[in-house]
Amino acid sequence: MSSGIPPWRATASATATTSLHSGHAAPAYIPVQARRSLTSKAAKPAPSPAAPLTSTEAADRKRVEFPEAVRKYVQRSFAPENRLPGVERREMEIKLKTIITEAAESKLLDQIDWETLPLPQVMVQNDRNRVLASPGVSSWGVFGTASPKKLTVVDDLSKKRKSVEYQGDANGCPPWRQTNSQNAFEDRITYPSTDKRQKIDMKNTSKSKANLEMRRKRFEDPNARHGSSPSSRGDSPTPSADQGPVVGRCQNLEKNYFRLTSAPNPDTVRPLPVLMKTLDLLKKKWKKDNNYGYICDQFKSLRQDLTVQHIRNEFTVSVYEIHARIALEKGDLGEYNQCQTQLRALYAQQLGGHPTEFRAYRILYFIHTRNWTAMNDALADLTAADKRDPAVKHALDVRSALALGNYHRFFQLYLDTPNMGAYLMDMFVDRERLSALAAICKAYKPDVKIRFITEELGFESDEQSAHFILDHTAEDLLQEKDGVVRLLTSGKAGQLFEGAKADAHRVVDIKGQI
Amino acid sequence: MPSIFEDFKEGQRIGSGPRLAAALTPVAPAENPDRLKAFFYFSNSTRLPSDLRYSLFQATGIRLSKQEANSWIEIFSPYWKAVGEIVKFDEAPSHASWVKVFDAWKETTNMLIRGYSTNGLQAWTVPCLYIVGRYLRTFAQKADAELSSQDSVAFGDRFQDDAVTDFRNAKLEEATRVINRMFTLCLSDRASIEESRKWGIYDTTNLLFKSYFKLNSVGLSKNLLRALNASSADLPEMDAFPKSHIVTFKYYVGVIHFLDENYAEAEEHLSYAWNMCHQSAIKNKELILAYLVPCHLVTTHTLPSKKLLSSFPRLEELFRPLCNCIKAGDLGGFDAAMTVAEEEFVKRRIYLPLERGRDIALRNLFRKVFIAGGFDEPKEGQPPIRRTRIPVAEFAAAVRVGTHAKEGSRVDMDEVECLLSNLIYKGLMKGYISRERSMVVLSKGGAFPGTGV
Repeated sequence: MSSGIPPWRATASATATTSLHSGHAAPAYIPVQARRSLTSKAAKPAPSPAAPLTSTEAADRKRVEFPEAVRKYVQRSFAPENRLPGVERREMEIKLKTIITEAAESKLLDQIDWETLPLPQVMVQNDRNRVLASPGVSSWGVFGTASPKKLTVVDDLSKKRKSVEYQGDANGCPPWRQTNSQNAFEDRITYPSTDKRQKIDMKNTSKSKANLEMRRKRFEDPNARHGSSPSSRGDSPTPSADQGPVVGRCQNLEKNYFRLTSAPNPDTVRPLPVLMKTLDLLKKKWKKDNNYGYICDQFKSLRQDLTVQHIRNEFTVSVYEIHARIALEKGDLGEYNQCQTQLRALYAQQLGGHPTEFRAYRILYFIHTRNWTAMNDALADLTAADKRDPAVKHALDVRSALALGNYHRFFQLYLDTPNMGAYLMDMFVDRERLSALAAICKAYKPDVKIRFITEELGFESDEQSAHFILDHTAEDLLQEKDGVVRLLTSGKAGQLFEGAKADAHRVVDIKGQI
Repeated sequence: MPSIFEDFKEGQRIGSGPRLAAALTPVAPAENPDRLKAFFYFSNSTRLPSDLRYSLFQATGIRLSKQEANSWIEIFSPYWKAVGEIVKFDEAPSHASWVKVFDAWKETTNMLIRGYSTNGLQAWTVPCLYIVGRYLRTFAQKADAELSSQDSVAFGDRFQDDAVTDFRNAKLEEATRVINRMFTLCLSDRASIEESRKWGIYDTTNLLFKSYFKLNSVGLSKNLLRALNASSADLPEMDAFPKSHIVTFKYYVGVIHFLDENYAEAEEHLSYAWNMCHQSAIKNKELILAYLVPCHLVTTHTLPSKKLLSSFPRLEELFRPLCNCIKAGDLGGFDAAMTVAEEEFVKRRIYLPLERGRDIALRNLFRKVFIAGGFDEPKEGQPPIRRTRIPVAEFAAAVRVGTHAKEGSRVDMDEVECLLSNLIYKGLMKGYISRERSMVVLSKGGAFPGTGV
């Protein structure tokens, strides 16, 4: 105990980390778990139990008087004669800390029979045996008995993954590979809410020690950060990344999505015929239950299975298209943008699908995100034939109307949007209403009828437009005169809308993700 | 033209970075077409280190610290290999490969970077970085072209969830990573400014800009600007740097702002580049103007003069039709001109700002309405005042004329009002619309600001 603080007083977050080792995670996580405990033999340890605790934190915690039995138990754990070969002292300490913290938190300190409770090192060994005995981890079991060389391979993988996480770029691809590099971070995966591992992992790696490690690596070898190009200088070989495609043999239709952290296991990958059935099932379920959390998760695992098997055909396109449409419908722009980016590349290979429909969405999407650089690219992508397509033409007209501030034309187009473009337009239509109102207030004097606003700005009723005006301006700008409601287009009204417009245009950079 | 070793010797003797960098230039000059071959055949791979040691130092009498001398030998070894690959293009084209040239050149670059980071090389030699970095980019692009003629798209590593990764620019991406290290190498040098690698910062930044633009990831340039900004306190004033570095740098910064639609800032940087640009660098001036003209149109609503564009026939051809339509208030002509040149405009990334020229065309059209409206009945002894109350219908008629509307087609009055309201909102017209009376009331003093009426 270098810092002189017993491990069981360490912070709660450290406890959460260590609970990972105690083996009650969902079965699918077992490989990760096994790897952790085995690789801990390698040079770079996980956060050491006492390290995260600073003196101030210690002072904040209420002091717990441990019963005599507990202290005896701790003494026995550390006694040299109770050491088990193959269980490191550090692992034992972590386990010990978990046991005591859990006991203290559930107020069981006095009730546990500490005399007969197995020592932590015994528990560690039991856990390990259980993991090795369970099915589905055979490939990891190999590493347990493997030569040190194999161990370093695992270590490389974990290192690589860590750095990738810090980049905020879990695709492991360099930033310029992403079409909307400006928004690389917001475009990140939306994590399914059931995914506990992710959260635990975050906590684990966000420890200062990991930060230092990251920092060290950054200065040591900038190439390693990108880690995608096998031939780049100083990159360690990543054997599993270079192998050919996996051929899946899983027959289950449904599968939860987990981000891959190691080579995919063919037992959990579904082959194409199964995936086709999966898609049909998902379509039915979506119609029936409309449960987006479930559908999104399933689609992500579907996409992953396609990728690891290098399946790239019309079916792939339709998977991405359907997922993109569902994400659009639910306003999950993060997921939508991922699909869109992939679709763009897939269409470039002429695999079928509905390229013009999605090219139109792409334009509308960049209007919404106000990403002009990407808009330029999107325009450059269009062929003359694309431009004749009604959906693309509509999107281009929308763009042009907005560029020139022609709200009249814009709202005409809004009311006549093909396909699912309206879902995208809904996202920025209020913003453009505020812009239009700012212009109207400056240009018209002394007032305009509410009917005019309703018609010009695509509202459904006078009531709706009145609501909208009052929502965005605290002042009473609406007045009844000669039996009609009018908007007073005073200088003050102009300023209020101007302010609301500026606010609306500012927040758009934060993408709406579910 | 001297040999590679003579350049090295002279460069070291007089302490001239550019001269030294000439030794690392992988192109044979016209006067000495066999310069690279001579260098390659002076040794072979087994004898290379000792041959280099002899030719670089013993024969020339240049004395450097052991560390520094070793650095140069480490740099010249892969350089020799790269030159060997280049020479193949002359001697055995079927075996020549730009990928191999690139790989050897990348090694040369890495050795050079290592030479600096282990403090072997002195700061005055940074022009070597410029040359080596520049050719790294060139070779990477050639290698990519070579690769893409063989194979197209491939799958990424499999930790990725999604299907497609684009490898068309794999080598350029590799090169960019290396150049990024050069950037850090220059920016993070803490030596006193007289002997600092900081003098190389703008040149390496420019290289990165070029690569990012090529890789279609202009967004990354902003990270560089942020890094530069953060250490701006430690950097010398901009005009202390070589003008060639600064002009390019300012050009790119201008374009980056331009692409973000920050036209005012873009104009500032582009004007700086324009003013500093060398008189005879016609191509560069043309590049700057291609962005500066649209900038000007947006920020000051002015068009380029014939005189300005007279030395740039390509730009004249590109912009003139549009300018004429804007001047004449010819909306239909404007739209047609935009469509004709759309592809070119989009490619040059100037479509979006030029599109805003339509507002100016519209303003000019409506100004004609105002002028054609003539004067109100003059009051006793007062100078005549233009008619400032104009029915919306008159503007609608103008829009019909301006858009070459077909007979029988309808002009949407609400849209005309919307156009008017926009011009007023943008300050191109002064006045207001009275919707009740369907009338526009223009300001008596300067209804169209900046146009003399």
